[in-house]
Amino acid sequence: MTGAQANPIAELAKLSAFLRRDLLTRLSYRTAILADLFSLFSQALIFYYVSKVVNPARIPNSGGQRTTYIAYVTVGIAVSGLLAIGLARLVNVIRQEQFMGTLESLMVTPTTASVILLGSVVYDLIYVPFRTVIFLVIVSIGFNVSFVASGYVPALVILAAFMPFVWGIGSIASACVLTFRRGTGVLGFATFVLTFTSGAYFPVSLFPSWVGQLAKINPIAVTITGMREQLIGGAGWDDALTVLAKLIPMSGITLLLGLLAFRLAMRRERRLGTLGLY
Amino acid sequence: MLSGVDLRVGAGRISALLGPNGAGKTTFLRIVTGLLLPESGSVRVAGIDVAADPMGARRHIGVVPSGDRTFYMRISGLENLAFFGRLYGLSRREALARAEQRLADVGLADAGAQRAGLYSHGMQKRLSMARALLMNPELLVVDEATDGLDPEGARRIQDLVRGITDTGAAVVWTTQRLDEIRGFADAVTVLDRGRTTFAGTVEDLMLQATSRAYFVRLRGVGDAPGDAELQRANEALGALGTLSRAGGDREHVRLDLTEGAVLGEALAAVSGAGLTVLDVAQQRSELEQSFLRLTTPRT
Repeated sequence: MTGAQANPIAELAKLSAFLRRDLLTRLSYRTAILADLFSLFSQALIFYYVSKVVNPARIPNSGGQRTTYIAYVTVGIAVSGLLAIGLARLVNVIRQEQFMGTLESLMVTPTTASVILLGSVVYDLIYVPFRTVIFLVIVSIGFNVSFVASGYVPALVILAAFMPFVWGIGSIASACVLTFRRGTGVLGFATFVLTFTSGAYFPVSLFPSWVGQLAKINPIAVTITGMREQLIGGAGWDDALTVLAKLIPMSGITLLLGLLAFRLAMRRERRLGTLGLY
Repeated sequence: MLSGVDLRVGAGRISALLGPNGAGKTTFLRIVTGLLLPESGSVRVAGIDVAADPMGARRHIGVVPSGDRTFYMRISGLENLAFFGRLYGLSRREALARAEQRLADVGLADAGAQRAGLYSHGMQKRLSMARALLMNPELLVVDEATDGLDPEGARRIQDLVRGITDTGAAVVWTTQRLDEIRGFADAVTVLDRGRTTFAGTVEDLMLQATSRAYFVRLRGVGDAPGDAELQRANEALGALGTLSRAGGDREHVRLDLTEGAVLGEALAAVSGAGLTVLDVAQQRSELEQSFLRLTTPRT
């Protein structure tokens, strides 16, 4: 933005308006909320039975503790699901505003592009981690998977540190959508590769050794491993801090790149006058 | 692409922007609202350079976009307005109070709790007007607001806009409905392919009309005038113009006046040739003729 700078506090206060708007919109689709909860349960049910045929001896230890496949995969599903849903919502939110014809209505208000982007996803940034916690609770209660109670808080902190990464990737995807209209395919493929090789569903040891090396700098793998160590092994705050020291810079850089990409995409749209086109 | 477009709108004035599809009207409005950066030139709203300070300028602009779907259809009209009010920096309480007031102003007080998706086309246009007026803007930008509205709905929107000018707001009104600017707009700019082809008052625009054609209902000796009677009338008209069959109904003929000819004299000549003039209607209004003359036909 050029000219007079917007008051950051006043700008951030607008986020509650976006939150209310999206909460009211989602509440108007009650069936969709129930369907989402059902899909969480059905996903857990499938992996519960898959775990019955997986030899626990082949599952790597987490935080020094032996575990079952259902406990192992639950954390992977929780994190990769958070990434998939968060990303889908982040990407679609701008596209949806374009389709609905509301993007230009938002852009003619005295609101910065960053706040419009953040506001458009603030509901999901809160809802998606909440949904992840619900998933963990369903598995824990419904399928008798016991997580270490002392690991809940460190695991949630790790999850919170992962959210800027999701937001950053989502912002890059949004910028692609704004610029290319259908620019999410490559990003979707990249995210799949990162998730598939993160150890979410299978131990990384099954892959070639270089995949294991890459997993050390893959934020998804770092998050999943860190959360498993806390929830399954109760590794404690020292291990959590080690994970956070790796994860926070990765998330921070991704978020900055994402916001920069979105800003450049918006500037290009303003120059070309094609913001409302889809 | 816009080039050489110069438009000034004073407080309390309505400036109509006319032009065929693709003339550059919406592009112009996008530049005014800061959605599009001009390669050269500048736009100032309430003294603020829009390109240099779009956020500052937008605080003074209310926009009524073309099209319906510019609201969140799953939430109520009131919640929609309150949401946009918050984006202008109002607190929730202020935004709600302002939204209720504006809904009442546009006659939607009873529909405020209804989902915006259930609003009719006319109601959505009024909701759009209510949103544009939330912050008492100094400039109201209206993009084809009466498009698709019935005459009553269009008149209602125009009355609202007239009311706004009474508070000192300047209005830029784009339209393709020529009939609506007479007696409404204070000034007119005609755009064609991104260039200004006319700027002046509505009356000045009407004077641009050159070709004047009328449908005249005539009665001859019997009932509808015969070919011989028309021939006689044409001879009587001489240089004033020509009468020709308009097709279908034999009672109606087309009268084309030559430049400088006076309609009354032409009709007197037709009467003098033994035909009774029952009715006269303009084939196209002066505004329409002027518009067609100032713009390039599209294929």
